[in-house]
Parts: sequence; C-alpha cells; structure tokens
Amino acid sequence: MIGIKKDRKMGRESILKSVKQNKPELLQLPDINEATFEEDINLLETFKNNLKAVGGFVKEIDEKSIDTEIKVLHSNKTNIVSTTKKSALGTITIDKNTEPHTLENIDLAILEAELGVSENGAVWVTASNSIVRVLPFITNDLVIILKKENICLHMLKAYDQIAERYRDFGVFISGPSKTADIEQCLVVGAHGAMSLAVLLI
Amino acid sequence: MSHATKAAEFNKNEAKVNWHDKALWYVREKRDKSAHNVQGWEYLRQLGSKIKANVLSNLDEYLIQFEANAKKNGIHVHWASDAEEHNNIVNDILSKHNAKKVVKSKSMLTEECHLNPFLESRGIEVVDTDLGERIVQLAQEPPSHIVLPAIHKTKEDVDELFQEHLGTTPSQGNPEYLVGEARKHLRDKFLNADVAITGVNFAVADTGGVVVCTNEGNADMGVHLAKAHIACMGIEKIIPKEKHLGVFLRLLARSATGQPITTYSSHFNKPEDGKEMHIVIVDNGRTEQLSREDFRASLHCIRCGACMNTCPIYRRSGGHSYDYTIPGPIGSILSPGKDLKKHSSLPFASTLCGSCSNVCPVKINIHEQLYKWRQVIVKEQKQPMVKKSILKTAGVVLSKPGLYRIAGKTARFMLKNAPKFMIYNKLNAWGKARDLPEVKGQNFDDWYKKRQKNG
Ligand code: SF4
Repeated sequence: MIGIKKDRKMGRESILKSVKQNKPELLQLPDINEATFEEDINLLETFKNNLKAVGGFVKEIDEKSIDTEIKVLHSNKTNIVSTTKKSALGTITIDKNTEPHTLENIDLAILEAELGVSENGAVWVTASNSIVRVLPFITNDLVIILKKENICLHMLKAYDQIAERYRDFGVFISGPSKTADIEQCLVVGAHGAMSLAVLLI
Repeated sequence: MSHATKAAEFNKNEAKVNWHDKALWYVREKRDKSAHNVQGWEYLRQLGSKIKANVLSNLDEYLIQFEANAKKNGIHVHWASDAEEHNNIVNDILSKHNAKKVVKSKSMLTEECHLNPFLESRGIEVVDTDLGERIVQLAQEPPSHIVLPAIHKTKEDVDELFQEHLGTTPSQGNPEYLVGEARKHLRDKFLNADVAITGVNFAVADTGGVVVCTNEGNADMGVHLAKAHIACMGIEKIIPKEKHLGVFLRLLARSATGQPITTYSSHFNKPEDGKEMHIVIVDNGRTEQLSREDFRASLHCIRCGACMNTCPIYRRSGGHSYDYTIPGPIGSILSPGKDLKKHSSLPFASTLCGSCSNVCPVKINIHEQLYKWRQVIVKEQKQPMVKKSILKTAGVVLSKPGLYRIAGKTARFMLKNAPKFMIYNKLNAWGKARDLPEVKGQNFDDWYKKRQKNG
C-alpha cells in the first residue's frame, strides 16, 4: 500500500526524480502588493513599544552621552567588549581570530546594529558588527546602538534594506533571550544575553 | 494503541488536563491578539499559502538552485532519501571530526529520524539544548508539542527531574531558579561541544542560506562555539527568495506564541573562518506525500503549532496520545501518509470543527484533509474497526460532561461556519450526540494566578 521506496546511495538523483514525477503543474509565484501593509504610524514610537513588550530596554539619547548612559545601566561590569567606535568602554579587545570560547566570561558587549524593525522591535546584527559571531549571544548583557533613522516599518522592508549585503551571518534580535518552557512562565535569560538595551541615537 | 486509549490515560489526571487545555487556549488567544495587530494579516496568510504552493510545484528546480548557491558559499550539501541515510550522513560527518559531544537545537526532523538513539548507540553524547527539549530528554520522553515540547510537564515534574539529573536543590518548581540552573548546565555543554546540529526553519533558494529561529539563543550558542554546524532540513523547507522571509517571519512567531518575531532569527549563509557547515536535505516520505493531490498541501506547514493550540481534542488529549513525531491536527494528516495502518485512528481524533484551518498561517485545509483521510481509511479498512475507533475518540475525549469544556469561540465558529455535513456526518459521532457545553469560569490568566498563589 503505502511505503517509502529505498534507493540507497542515490539520494540526490532519486529525490529530484521523485519530486519531478510527483509535483503538480507549475503554480505562479504571487507578486507581493506591499501597499496592503502600509500604515501611517510613528515608526520610532512603535519600535520602542514593541521592544519594551519583548523585554528590551530602549532609550533615545544623544550620541555624545552613549558611555554615560551605558555606565548608568551597567555600573559594575569588568569584562566589556565594544566593537563600535561609538563607545570607549571596552576593556577587552577582540579581532576576527579571537577564539570564541575565550568570550565565555564577557559581562557586557556593546555593538552597533544597522537596522531596526518597527513592527517587532528587532535589530539586525551582522557578523561584522559582532567581529566574533558568538559575541551577542555569549555575553551576559548586551547593549546595541542604533540610529533612529534606520528603523523601517516591517520585515519586507527590512529585507529590501539588507538585500545588497555581504552574506555570511546575520541575525534579527528582538529582546533578551527567554523561555516559557516551564509551565508557560516567561523567564528572561535562557542561553543568550540576559538583558538587551537598545540606545537610539 | 489507538489515540483514544492513550487519550484516556492522559485524562486520568484531571487537574493536569484542565491546566493543559487552558494553557494552550491562552497561547491561542495570544496568537489572535498578535495577528489582529498586523495590517493585512489575511493577505499575509494568502501570500504564505501561495508561495508554498509555488514551491511545491517547482521544488526540484528550487532544490538544485539552493544547492548550487550553498556550495558557492562553501557549504557542504548532502541528500538523504530516508531516515537511515540521514542518520548515516550525520554520523559520517561526526566521525570525520572525531566528535564525541554534540549539542542540538530544536529539530522535529531529527526527532522524526530518531537521530539521538542512533548516535548514542555509537558512543556519542547528544544534548538537546532547547530547555523544553532538554526537559523531555531527561525524562526520556518525546516532545508532546512541536513548539512547546514540555507543555505536558508541571513545574514540580521539572524540579524533580533537575534534582535527579542536574543535582539542583528542591525549589517547589521555582521557574527562575530552574531556568538559571539549566542555563549553567547547558552552557557547560555548549562550551565543550565538538559539533552543533540544528534544524532549519527556512532554506532560501536564491541565496543558498538557511534561517533558524529560537527564543533561547541555543542554536547560536551551539553553532558559533562548535567547529562544525550540521543543519538538517526536509525538502519542503525551501522558499524561493530571501524577500519571502519577510512574509514567513511575520507569520511564524505570531502564529506560534503571539510574539511579533522570535528573539533570534539567525541567517546562516557561510561558515565562520576555519569552520565547516553542512546541510542535509531529507525526503523521508515527503515526495510520496507530494504525489497525493488531496494531501499535498500538508507540506506547506511551517511548524508553528497553532493548529495544536486551538484544537479541542489536542488540548484535552495531550501530544503523546498521537504517538507520532508531529502531534495534533497537522500530525493527523501527515502520519497516515507514513503508515496508514498504524496511524489510522488519528484522522478521527478531531471534531472537524475547522479551527485548525482557520488559524493556519499558510492556510492548509487541515480539517478537509482529515475528512478525506477518513474516507481513505474507511475504504481500506474493515468497517467495524473504524466505527469502534471513532466512537472511542468521541467517547473518551468528548463525552465526559464537565471534563470536556470546548472553548466557546471555537464552538461558535464551528457551528456558524462548518458545513453541516462535517458536523453531522456519520463519521462524527460527536456532532450527532452532543450539544456544546457552556463555557464558564475563570480564564487561564486568573486561574493561573490563583494557582500560583495557592502554591
Ligand atoms: S499545519 Fe499550519 S497551523 Fe499547524 S503547525 Fe503547520 S503551519 Fe502551523
């Protein structure tokens, strides 16, 4: 009746052949009418509200006061990595060749993000923002600096913005890491950063 | 064992069943709120459905394109016709790296292929790193839900498991404490792992990259620390263009938990310098399902779990009663395609109320497919057996007055919108026999708060 034919060592050819035989007639890819998603909203305020709703901290500040703000937020951190020229608080320097495991005791990482998304409070962080990919995940706390004018309405617009990038690794981060796996109780701080603050300049 | 028999077991603990029911309905309500916040939500679902339909109709071409682009970026691509081939490929990669310790982030595919026991029997330690998955792994159970793997466990259950396996002190199930301990325990596993295995949420044909979504950050902690990353995907995970992620990422988390997006949506296009990345593309019965015109659309599924959260039968029978990797309404239309005989009771584990199809972000006609599987099963199997199994499902899960409280909205929706033949057809003993019970009492929020207070 129903059984899966085995065709060992022929994985690729047999799968493609089987798909070809079994697929339906070509159905067109739909055009995306983005006008349907247009909204006359305040991008900045919506971004801030959504980021707060997912457990993030957000504040509009003056570029000159970045370090002062971070010191208020995180007063007693010792192992700090800053990968942006906008903050001089780094106590540990890293480069492309830094062994990721050595970042295990980083208290605070300060990064710049290229893009924010209003509809979900997410920021786009690339491998070059992080220098070492594990940094924004392994650090205990995370501060991200984002230019206000780089906030877009929704994810479709976000993908337009990053379409021309060099593709190695990139991540949308929305709030601190979290889990609700124990009886649906939301607990912030699972495996990734325990807190996320986005400073808008 | 039929779904009904297993559901009866789950129903022995009434308090737990009530909690399970309400907790999942609460998630469903969060989904509704979140969806209503999106301008053009219904259009977004339509797009999701149409893109997936296009994918299936051109899947071979997209797979070839995906492979070529991934290879250009230095990713190794492997193909596996079935679970055995998949497991062997993964094992070969691990052997090459002399890997003894593996961390894995959530992947229903590797569950489906029973990868863990396969690797463990070869002396490899495999640690599931999603907290819910780790909980069920320690309990030696399969996940009972595709997004909330340990939803059937109470916090006291977790407390005991952690005392036994992680040496924690009794905390009466304090979630903060338990998560903190799990963080320490798993951090050690991440730091010592040789290779990281992840699932794939979306594989983009025009870039050759894959996207993995988590809330905990476990996929990234694993991948960025290990020397090699193996991403395992079913052939149906393909989407044509990167821009389509804009459609699917808007749909996925809102449908799953009501979040506007998962905490991390990670785009892997190239391995980090000095590291390796592998992608294993798996069929394991999917091309067979593709051949079945009536059931093909089940391959649209993006594994959000919304159909489970909304299903009155799932909520009151628990994921394990389905005895299949993917439980709930979607599992009930996928599993008969894998083994019609073994899973013949699943298409009957439904009231055909249509709530699943109504919430599905990619508009799979789940309840219609359930009905169609029933027809196939009635044709292929002896009648008395079928009748018995229908009556049993109805009997156990639905006809216990006071035990079964269907959520009001679903019920009203069903009576308003489901075609009469679906509610009152012969196969649906429930439609014939019962009126819908009234929904009374506190909502999940209140109930939950009260429960917290009482200890
Ligand atoms: S069938 Fe639809 S609702 Fe159910 S898990 Fe799949 S995508 Fe989600």
